[in-house]
Amino acid sequence: MNLSLLAHHQRLFSVTCASLALSLSLSIGLGEAKTIAEISWLDIIGEGSVALLSLLWIFFLLVSRPPGRVTSALVLGLSCFLFSANLDLVDEVMSYHNAASVLSMIESIPAALGMLIMSYALYQWHKEQLVLNKQLQKRESALREHHQVDFITALYSAEYMRTQIDSALNNNQPPEFSVVMLDIDDFDGFNRQFGHDQGDRLLRELSDLILMNLRATDLACRYAGDRFILLFPNTDLATAEKIAGQIKTAIANIAFKPSPSAESVYHQLSFAVETAISGDATENLLHRVSRRLEKFKQRTKQPIHQYTLSSSANGPNGLKHDGNSHG
Amino acid sequence: MAESDFYSIDDKVIPAYQLAASILDFCRSRGVNKHKLLRGTGIFDEDLVSDKTLSCQQLLQLMKNAESLTPGHDCTFLLGKRLFPGSYGAISNALMHTRNLTDGFRILASNRSQICPFLDLKHYSSQQHHYVLITDAIGSQEQFKFIAELYCTALVSSVKLILGQRIPFEFNFPFPRPKYIQEYEVHLGHRLNFSQPTMSIRLQKKWLDTFGLNPSDRLKHHALRQCKQALMPKKGFVEAVRWTLGKHAEYGLQNVAEQFSMSPATFKRKLKQHGYHFQQIHDEVGKQQAIYLLQMQQLSNEETAHLMQFSDIPNFRRSVKRWTGLTPSQLRMTIHN
Repeated sequence: MNLSLLAHHQRLFSVTCASLALSLSLSIGLGEAKTIAEISWLDIIGEGSVALLSLLWIFFLLVSRPPGRVTSALVLGLSCFLFSANLDLVDEVMSYHNAASVLSMIESIPAALGMLIMSYALYQWHKEQLVLNKQLQKRESALREHHQVDFITALYSAEYMRTQIDSALNNNQPPEFSVVMLDIDDFDGFNRQFGHDQGDRLLRELSDLILMNLRATDLACRYAGDRFILLFPNTDLATAEKIAGQIKTAIANIAFKPSPSAESVYHQLSFAVETAISGDATENLLHRVSRRLEKFKQRTKQPIHQYTLSSSANGPNGLKHDGNSHG
Repeated sequence: MAESDFYSIDDKVIPAYQLAASILDFCRSRGVNKHKLLRGTGIFDEDLVSDKTLSCQQLLQLMKNAESLTPGHDCTFLLGKRLFPGSYGAISNALMHTRNLTDGFRILASNRSQICPFLDLKHYSSQQHHYVLITDAIGSQEQFKFIAELYCTALVSSVKLILGQRIPFEFNFPFPRPKYIQEYEVHLGHRLNFSQPTMSIRLQKKWLDTFGLNPSDRLKHHALRQCKQALMPKKGFVEAVRWTLGKHAEYGLQNVAEQFSMSPATFKRKLKQHGYHFQQIHDEVGKQQAIYLLQMQQLSNEETAHLMQFSDIPNFRRSVKRWTGLTPSQLRMTIHN
């Protein structure tokens, strides 16, 4: 488990501890212990688990969210709730006389207050989520499945793209969308020369660049290895080809720097475009587009070349070779 | 006796800086906790920078951990790409200077246990095709798929590096088609068949003459001389048993144990340690022969039965069906031309 966010939450951590300490010291300090016979163990289990689970929720909030308004409100609300839950729990083993009996009368008030704060927090969270959705727009379609996100590029994986193509095929008859497959030329050679960590970094940066060149409705996923796959809804072959060509140009002009010096490496893409036809199946479509890419790469067989580091003034090398392929 | 040149699953014969170091390196780049990765392997961090050797068992456990701890399905494929040329020293040098693919396969065959201790490779030719028949050499069991993906990717990427072009290998895998088929297609190509009776690689013979990019007999021989200094036995234990049975189909457990200078009880225990029964290996040898004769050589039932020393055809058909799940004629048809 990654606990690195915990270090940023000193204040919220103390709020939680304070709620825990205050509720326990108040309720234990002011009461008298009941005899064993008076204790209802069923109640202890019930109320104890409420207290324990709210503590667990606070913990997961702290380890999964960066600090900010929403996080503070969520933790504050839960801490109030925790306060009441603790009073309730200790109530089972302690009895209160005169002045202290007020404590059991007011014990539900913090919980109500906590619920109010939580409701506010959830509303804020909703708004935050809308903003985040917008940030993720081109990485994500109508479905969220975090376990299908690729580790290196933070794009969704091929599996996710399959479900998206599936639903695009099922929802529109006849289907009107195009699929593009992109592949970096001689990525293996780059890896051999500059190391795999640089290769991973290159993939990450290229995926950002691909996203930048997409329209708001498009979706980009990592397919496998150095291969990406794009889904263009309501797009014909010519438009898809045009956008893919723009991505190719954009990437050919990026001066990637594998070392701390200003020396740069330029990259070429190959791509293939396919449009869905009626009665298409996801696997067939993917198979067609990847076969087409393969054929294209074989036709324009690139010799294995040493990457020459060129200073950025020289500009991209080898821009002339044309990298699109279609029917 | 004759059969002493083999390594068992727990013999520490594999240099740690090869596969184990690659796996550790890869898992580090994927943010995997090193202690979790090494758990249960008996491998220590410092082993990887020393001349320490590891056993197949240790590596199999390490693969298992790596598979479950790394995100996604590309672990084996990316590892395969990293194996060559980095991990193999002199062998890599020899391979880099081969004249052509045949030459490369020859070096691979004579140094196979150093390059790939887990798999037993047998090369065959028919009129049109070259076949590499692949079986488990040491008892990989549930890691077989991991190993198959790893070394097939290593083969494709190293051949591309040595020859400067992609050779259209056709892969036959014994396991069903996985969901992450895209990794296979990108790293191995589109000639893929799954749920086959045995694992094999096929290519058209004309590709065997493809020239290497940097052929040099002098550098190659120098490198091969260095390879000879490595003291790695040639065969895995399971592979060695299979080999003995292949030579003497009539041998029972007693005879084979004798060949290995063991008592039948010790021999049985040793087989069990590798996850096998004697009968299982016996059947596998029959299966391999049937596949070779029927599928690759396209011989008739009568010829095959005769060569495999079956006295009657119905019995032969029954055995083939039991070994491969297919009748002899179905098996002959499984080759797609």
